Amino acid sequence: MCNACGFPTRPGHWTDAGADNAGDRLRLQMRRAQILNRLLSSYGFTARPPGHGPGFALSSFTGRTALLPDLESVWKDAARQIGAPIDPLAPRFTKTPSAP
Amino acid sequence: MTPDADDSRLRLTILGGYLGSGKTTWLRHQLFAGTFPGAHILVNEAALTPVDDTLLAAQAASMTMLAGGCACCTGKADLITALRALCDTRSRQSAEVRSTNQIVLETSGLADPAAILAAIRDDGVLVHHIRVAEIVVLVDALHAVQQLQSEHLSRAQIEAADRIILTKVDAVTDHTLAAVMATVKQLNPAAEIEAAAKGQPHALSNLPDATAYALPLLLDGMAPILPTKIDIPEDVDWAAFSVWLSALLYARGDDLVRVKGVFETPAGPLLLQAVRKSVQPPELLPAPAQDRRNQIVFIGRGYESEDLRRSLAYFTRN
Repeated sequence: MCNACGFPTRPGHWTDAGADNAGDRLRLQMRRAQILNRLLSSYGFTARPPGHGPGFALSSFTGRTALLPDLESVWKDAARQIGAPIDPLAPRFTKTPSAP
Repeated sequence: MTPDADDSRLRLTILGGYLGSGKTTWLRHQLFAGTFPGAHILVNEAALTPVDDTLLAAQAASMTMLAGGCACCTGKADLITALRALCDTRSRQSAEVRSTNQIVLETSGLADPAAILAAIRDDGVLVHHIRVAEIVVLVDALHAVQQLQSEHLSRAQIEAADRIILTKVDAVTDHTLAAVMATVKQLNPAAEIEAAAKGQPHALSNLPDATAYALPLLLDGMAPILPTKIDIPEDVDWAAFSVWLSALLYARGDDLVRVKGVFETPAGPLLLQAVRKSVQPPELLPAPAQDRRNQIVFIGRGYESEDLRRSLAYFTRN
């Protein structure tokens, strides 16, 4: 168990690869939270780095917040709350964007 | 940390293929020829009375037999136990006396290699000790067409392969062989294809042109798979791409038979490989070649190629 983040030691999720120093890791996490927010805001979620370790804090519009260790768990938890997985190939994401 | 391609984990080669495709024959010849030096051989048979072990025993350095259950489903627990035991023994040895650094798993003809890959990835111990080096799938050139037309499993095996070896090629005409090869290529465009007769390598040159056999839709409603190569635009970074890919694999993992490619990250170029929902731990590739483009190949069904590009653009636009 990691005493900073509370998650048991586990083999890294594949998305943890690609950043081998603390700076890169933090940048990656921040940037991912930014992208997650853009996608999840229309479902009433906000994601942010939990501030003390890997993963994300995912809050629903009710304020219920879950600490999730990696991206896969974020999609899983979102799917659980929405009732279906967020499908990147759904028409809302694949239609040619119309002019604002 | 991102694992290096050359770490100290045990290399596991998964040898798959439909019933009677010649797995034991091929493996025997490879062991004889010294392709897998010092490898520990794991043989899995679905039947209760094993025979393959006696055929292999003469050539193998060491061997474990797992009988009475296919390792991808009913015999999964046995496989995990056997692999853990191997890892345990190896961890107790010092680097100098280690007898083996690779394992070859001959699966039963009923096994789906992707399920075995997922089982290893999901095991908290094995994932630290074992690296799946390659999935080799044998395809019986004589009976492949019939199997592919009726059996979903034989298609799934081919789809999961890194390397495909057509066997019994001496028993078919060149024209049939070319047609089988075209069919296999259609199912898995990313895999290398080789041929062997009674275990001996067989050259695949000078084959006549042939069209692939038409494969009917099976009762499970699986549409034919479709390869899509995406050149990742330069402004898409690893953070954005990984968010998109993780969402895609979560929602569409069962449709995506294979994802393979190289992506430039802050730590260096990463080799990404996924078989259905399971992503193998990405590896750093050696010294970056000049002007390497980020390119990912998706092989899957149930979507339009153009949708993948549009969805990636939507997820990653600034």
